[in-house]
Amino acid sequence: MTEIKKQKFKNNLKAYFSKPANIITVLFLVLLIVAVVIPLFTLLIGSFKINGNQEALYTGIPDGSFTIAHWKELLTSKDFDYAQIKFWDPLFKSCLMSLLSCLVAVGFGGTVAWFITRSDLPFKKFISTVFVFPYIMPAWSMAMFWENFFKNTAINAGKGILQAVTGICVPESVVYGFFPCAMCLGLHYAPFAYILIGGILRNMDANLEEAATVLKASRLKILTRVTLPIVMPALISTVLLVFSSSISAFTVPFFLNKSSINSGNNFISISVQMRSLINSGFTKGQGYVIAIVLMIFSLAIITLNNWFTGKRKSFTTVTGKSGQVSLVKLGKARMVIAVILVVIVAFFAIMPMVSFAMESLLEVPGDLSTFTLKYWLSTEPFEGSNKGDTIGILRSGIMWAAMGRSLLLSLLVSLIAGTFGILIGYAVSHKRGSKAASLLSDIAFLPYLIPAMSFGAVYLALSYTKGFTWLDGSFFLLLLVGAFKFMPFASRTGTNAMLQLSGEIEEAAVITGTPWWKRMTRVLFPIQKSSFMSGYLLPFISCMREMSLFVLLAASYTTLVTTVLQEYSRTGLTQASNAINLLIIVFVLVIQYVVNKLTGASIDKGVGG
Amino acid sequence: MPKIILENVTKRFDKFVAVENLNMVIEDREFITLLGPSGCGKTTTLRMIAGLETPTEGKITIGDEVVFDSERGINLSPAKRDIGFLFQNYALWPHMTVYQNIAFGLENLKWPKDEIRKRVTEMLQMMKIEEFEKRYPSELSGGQQQRVAIARTLAPKPKVLFMDEPLSNLDAKLRLEMRTELKRLHVDTDSTFVYVTHDQLEAMTLATRVCLIKNGLLQQYAPPLEVYNKPANLFVADFVGNPTMNMLQGKAKKIDDTHAEVEFLGHKVKFESEVPFASFNEKVVVGIRPEFIQVDEGPYEGEIYATLPAGMETTVKLEVNKEIVTSMKFGAVDYQYGAKVKFDITGSGVILFDADTTDRFAMGKVTLIK
Ligand SMILES: Nc1ncnc2c1ncn2[C@@H]1O[C@H](COP(=O)(O)OP(=O)(O)O)[C@@H](O)[C@H]1O
Ligand SMILES: [Mg+2]
Repeated sequence: MTEIKKQKFKNNLKAYFSKPANIITVLFLVLLIVAVVIPLFTLLIGSFKINGNQEALYTGIPDGSFTIAHWKELLTSKDFDYAQIKFWDPLFKSCLMSLLSCLVAVGFGGTVAWFITRSDLPFKKFISTVFVFPYIMPAWSMAMFWENFFKNTAINAGKGILQAVTGICVPESVVYGFFPCAMCLGLHYAPFAYILIGGILRNMDANLEEAATVLKASRLKILTRVTLPIVMPALISTVLLVFSSSISAFTVPFFLNKSSINSGNNFISISVQMRSLINSGFTKGQGYVIAIVLMIFSLAIITLNNWFTGKRKSFTTVTGKSGQVSLVKLGKARMVIAVILVVIVAFFAIMPMVSFAMESLLEVPGDLSTFTLKYWLSTEPFEGSNKGDTIGILRSGIMWAAMGRSLLLSLLVSLIAGTFGILIGYAVSHKRGSKAASLLSDIAFLPYLIPAMSFGAVYLALSYTKGFTWLDGSFFLLLLVGAFKFMPFASRTGTNAMLQLSGEIEEAAVITGTPWWKRMTRVLFPIQKSSFMSGYLLPFISCMREMSLFVLLAASYTTLVTTVLQEYSRTGLTQASNAINLLIIVFVLVIQYVVNKLTGASIDKGVGG
Repeated sequence: MPKIILENVTKRFDKFVAVENLNMVIEDREFITLLGPSGCGKTTTLRMIAGLETPTEGKITIGDEVVFDSERGINLSPAKRDIGFLFQNYALWPHMTVYQNIAFGLENLKWPKDEIRKRVTEMLQMMKIEEFEKRYPSELSGGQQQRVAIARTLAPKPKVLFMDEPLSNLDAKLRLEMRTELKRLHVDTDSTFVYVTHDQLEAMTLATRVCLIKNGLLQQYAPPLEVYNKPANLFVADFVGNPTMNMLQGKAKKIDDTHAEVEFLGHKVKFESEVPFASFNEKVVVGIRPEFIQVDEGPYEGEIYATLPAGMETTVKLEVNKEIVTSMKFGAVDYQYGAKVKFDITGSGVILFDADTTDRFAMGKVTLIK
C-alpha cells in the first residue's frame, strides 16, 4: 500500500518536473528566496542586534546580542530631539516631497501622454522621443542641471545659466533643499508616468469613448466618466510607483543637499539619513531600521496597487481591437500647444546635456571667457582625490577603469536579468492563474520596491555576516545585487511578451518534437524579439546609470563610473563631475539608440509592457 | 423622417482611397446591409455617417438636416445626429455594471431617475438579461455582452441604428439566433438599421436592401433578391450566393436587339432576352446559377467530377469540355465519379457579362443549337 503510494508520488513528481515551466518555477522560487528574501531577513535581524564593536561601544551592549535599542532610540529618543530630527522629520518631509513629485510626474507625464495618444498634435514623434530622455539619464542629472541652471552668486554658489543669461538670482530655497528635490524627481519620473499612462491610453479601445459620444455624453463627461476611470489603475500604479521610487531616492536629495544648515533650507531626506547612519560604524543598526521602514512603505504600496488593480471591474476588455482612433481635434490651439510642449520637453531633455557640457568647459561657472579643456584633457594630478586621479577625466586611468568595469557589470547584469526575465515570463505565462506563478511574479517584482539604498544595505549586511565575508567589496557582489535589482523590469517585459503569444504557437513546435531550448530560441524568442530585447536593454541602462545601489558596496578596487563621479562631486571638482555625467548620458543614449535601431527594443516596451 | 442621403462621399487616408465617391439613399425604416470583403471600406462608410470619421469630401444628410458638407464646412458631432452605434467588439465600459452601461446614455439625455429605471428594466427584459443587471462586463459571456451592447444602444430609442459586424464574435448557433432577434427588433423598434457585414448570407437574410462595396467603390445597391438574381457585375455575382455562380468564358454574336448566338462549353446556343441588350461585346462571361443547371436529363452532357451532399440538397460538380460546372439538386443523391450524365440549362436567369468591363448586359434563357 505505502509502496504504491510512494511509487505514485514518485511518478507525480517525475511528471511535474518533466515540464520545463515547472522546473523554472521551482528553480527561480528557490533562487529568488535565497537572493531576495533571505538577505531581507538578514537586514531585519541586523536591526535587532549589535553590529560590531563600535556599535557595542556606542550602546554599551555586547557585540552580537539581541536588542531593540536601535528601534527604540531612532523612533522614540527625546535626547536633543534625536528621534524627531533623525527619523520623523526626514520621513515626513520625504513623504511630502514624494507626493509633490508624484503630482509633477503624473500631471506632466499624463498630459503629454494624452496629447500624444488622443489628439492631433503635430511633432508627436519628436516629443515622444525626446520626452523620455530624462528617464534614460541618471537620476541625479536633473538635479545637477537644476543646480547648474539656478545657482547664483547671491547664495555663494557660482553663476548659473539663469543668472548668466538674465541676471536673475533666485532664492536659495529654489536651488537647494525640499522644493528642487521634489521638482527634479517629478521631472525624472514624468517619462515613466508618460509610458505607463500612454500605454493604457494607446491600448484602450477608442470605441469605448466613441460609444459614449454617440450616447450624447459631453467631452468633460467622457473624460471623467469613461477615460479617467479606465486609466485609473494605470494612474494609481504610476502614483504608487513614483511615490515609492521618490521616497527612497538617494542621489537627488544627496546632490541638492548643499545649503547651509542655518538657512532653513537644509533638507535631509530619509534615504540620505539612512546612508549616513549606515556609513557610521556606530549606528549601522539604526540605518537598517530605516531600510526596513522604507521597505514596509513599499510593501504597503504594492499591496495597495494589487488591491486597486485587481478588482471585479476587470479591464481585460481593454483590448484595442478597433484600428480606427478618432483623434481629438485641437483646432486653433494645435500649433500653440505643440510649440509650448516642444519647448518644455526639449528644455528638460536637451538643456541638461548642454549645461553639463558648458559646466565642464568653464573654469568659472557662467563666465565664457574662462573656457578650458582642462577638465577633459589635463594630466595634472587631482589633489582632492586620494586615489591619484587626474583632473582631465579622459586622461584618468581610474575613470577609464571604472568605465570599463561599469560596462562589463552592466553587460553581465543585463544578460542575467534579461535571460532570467524571459524564463520567469515563460513559467508565469504557462502556469497562469496558479498560486506558484503569482508568487513567482510577485517575488520577482519585489526588488523593484526595495529602495536601491536598502537593497544595497541588505547585501552590505550580508557581506558582513559570517560565512559571506568573501563577498565584501567584490565584483561578484555588485553583479549579484545588480542582476536581482534590475530583474523586475525584465520579468515584467518577459511575462507580457509571453502572454501575448498564444499557446498554440509553442504547441505547434511541441508536436513536431522540437526540444524545449530550441522552442525558446527558434520559435518564441524570434517572434517577440523586440520585447525580449527590451528586457535586456532596460537593465543595462538602469545599471549603467545606477549609483545609489552601488554606493555602499563598491570598494576602491571595484569602483564604477558613477562612484567616480560621486567622488569628483564630493571633492568639489564640479567641472569633472559634469564631464563624466555627460559622458554617461551620451553613452547610454547612443547604446539605447543603436539597440533600438538594430532590434526594435525600446524602454517604453520595457516599462509599459 | 430619417432618410439618409450620401452624396459624393469620399474618404482618403493620406493617398489611400478608402471610400470613393459614394452616392446612396437610405429610406426611412429600411434595413440596409453594407456588404463586401474585408478592408473594402464598410466600417469607414458607417463611421462617416455616424460622425465618428470625417469624410474628405461630400455631403451627408440625415432626415432634414445636413450633418456633413465639406463645401459648407458643416460637421455635426455624433451626439447631435440622433443615432445609435453597435460596435463590433461591443465597447462595453469595463468599470460600469450592466445597469450603469445601459443607463449612461439616458442620463446624458437628462431623463428622470425613475424613467431611466423603467427603461433599463424594459431593455433588460427585452434582451433577457435581467439577472445580470449588477454584473460587470468581464463577468459575462460573449453572447450576454452582445445583448448588453444592444440594450445600451437601443435604450435611448435612436431613430437610426448603426451596427458594425455585431455578430462576428459569436459562435455559429448564437449568430443564427441573434439574426432572428435583430430582424424582430427592426420590426419592433420602427428604426432605420444600417448593418455592416462581410458575410453574404447574413446580408441577404437580414436586409431590405444590400449595398455591395469593393475597394471603396459601390458595386450594386438593391434588394437582396435582385442582387442575387441580377448581379450588376462579375464581382457581385461571385460574392453573392453559395455555391457561387458558374462563370464560363464564351463568345457571342449579336442577331438583333434581344437575340444572340453564344458559344460556350463547346456548344453553340441561342440566347433570348426579354428586354433589349443594354450594350454588347463579343467576349462574354456566361453566368448561370447552380440551381439553373438540372442534372439527369437534357441535351448537354458532362462527367461527374464530385458530389457534395449536404442533406437537404446536393452540389454536383460536372466536368464539361474541361471546365467545371456546378449544379444543385434537391435531396441527397450520389453519383459515381467519372459517370457520364445529361444535364439541362433551365429558366430565364442566364446572364451575359461583358468580359472586358465585367458588367452585366443581358439576362435571358438559352436553347441549344448544336
Ligand atoms: N485610420 C486609418 N488610416 C489609414 N488607413 C485606414 C484607416 N482606417 C481604415 N483604413 C483603410 O481603409 C480601408 C477600409 O477600411 P475599413 O472601412 O475598416 O474596411 P472594412 O470594410 O473591413 O470595415 C482598409 O484598407 C484600411 O486599411
Ligand atoms: Mg470593418
